[in-house]
Amino acid sequence: MADFLANYSIQKWLESCPQGYLEDTVYGHGPDESEPAELLQNDDYREQQIRTTVQLIAGERCALAASSGLVNAAPDQASKTFLATQTLDEGRHVEIFTQRLYDLGVKPNDLETTIKTYINPHLGKFAEVLLEKIDKKDFVAGVVGQNIVLEGMAFSVFEMLHAGAEASNPKFAHTLSGTIADERRHVGFGENRIGELIRRYPEKKPEVQRMQREMTKHMLATFHEAFARNGSPAEARTGAPQKDRAGPTYQGLNLAEASNEEMESALSATVLKEFKTRLGRIGLEYQSPN
Amino acid sequence: MTDPLELPTSARRPRQTFELEETGFNEVPKRFRRFYRRWRGAGDKLGPNEALCPVCKVVIRSTKELRAGDRVYCMPCMSRLELVEEEGMLIAKVIY
Repeated sequence: MADFLANYSIQKWLESCPQGYLEDTVYGHGPDESEPAELLQNDDYREQQIRTTVQLIAGERCALAASSGLVNAAPDQASKTFLATQTLDEGRHVEIFTQRLYDLGVKPNDLETTIKTYINPHLGKFAEVLLEKIDKKDFVAGVVGQNIVLEGMAFSVFEMLHAGAEASNPKFAHTLSGTIADERRHVGFGENRIGELIRRYPEKKPEVQRMQREMTKHMLATFHEAFARNGSPAEARTGAPQKDRAGPTYQGLNLAEASNEEMESALSATVLKEFKTRLGRIGLEYQSPN
Repeated sequence: MTDPLELPTSARRPRQTFELEETGFNEVPKRFRRFYRRWRGAGDKLGPNEALCPVCKVVIRSTKELRAGDRVYCMPCMSRLELVEEEGMLIAKVIY
């Protein structure tokens, strides 16, 4: 056990992140990379990307509040240290996605009104359920909500966005790949730390499972509203499809040709499958919101 | 015929060894990078010296052939794993 917790060190975080995959990056991407001209010149496409980026900022602001709140709720120094590094990761994510809004043409003075205009209301409810546990300093429920449910969802969403952007928008794809690398550590901490704590405190299971059901309900509603609002041609999501070339794929779905319903269905199925598997591994039973 | 599992350890086929080259994986400190690679999705295949981390979906690589009962460490997500054989395949299970 002592060895396991010793892996959560700031030294390892320094060598992996700032001196690792973030070395020579600016706001998470290459210094010479920029948003594609066809995106910036197409008002519908640009607005759709602003809407998507606002959801990422909202999710990361929630993760920042949760991880910083969990530092004081953690029962041991190693977990506090890890959560301190996660807090900086989440702060960085808020910053890089906020910078992306500026790169998409949003003026700094309009940042909060832009977020207010485009934020998905279900995402706010999703965050409320989690932050209520953090306010009560409930470490086990907080880490399951933050590092398994929220981070598990983010992992899948980032992978889908990354698949869509890899060819059409390398700048955004690079920004996302750094966040995916961070999510690996966050979900790893969630599973490893809680896997051990759930075995020690099995009486926590019913309450944690209720929270997971609530968060899952709001997450599915978030996906539904997000894809319903996308209203549009596939090129608005992935850049103009290139004739005679295979489009980007996610879970076997061609993102350049898929309908919004197909995309929502693929993402929801992937996230729920991951939830079930992850929760099962740590001894919790997935609760369907239906 | 003698069941190879019944043979004493010293009589079993020796493990294959592998040279590990850099794979472009940069999510761990430099000295450990060659021990990991990114999973390339459904079409990807694991080598006899590789295991897929079920937590973060990174491929863990060893200089020696991996076998059931081996313990490996996934540095990108900090998970400790044990390899078990299921339906003829090596699967990594998380140790909590």
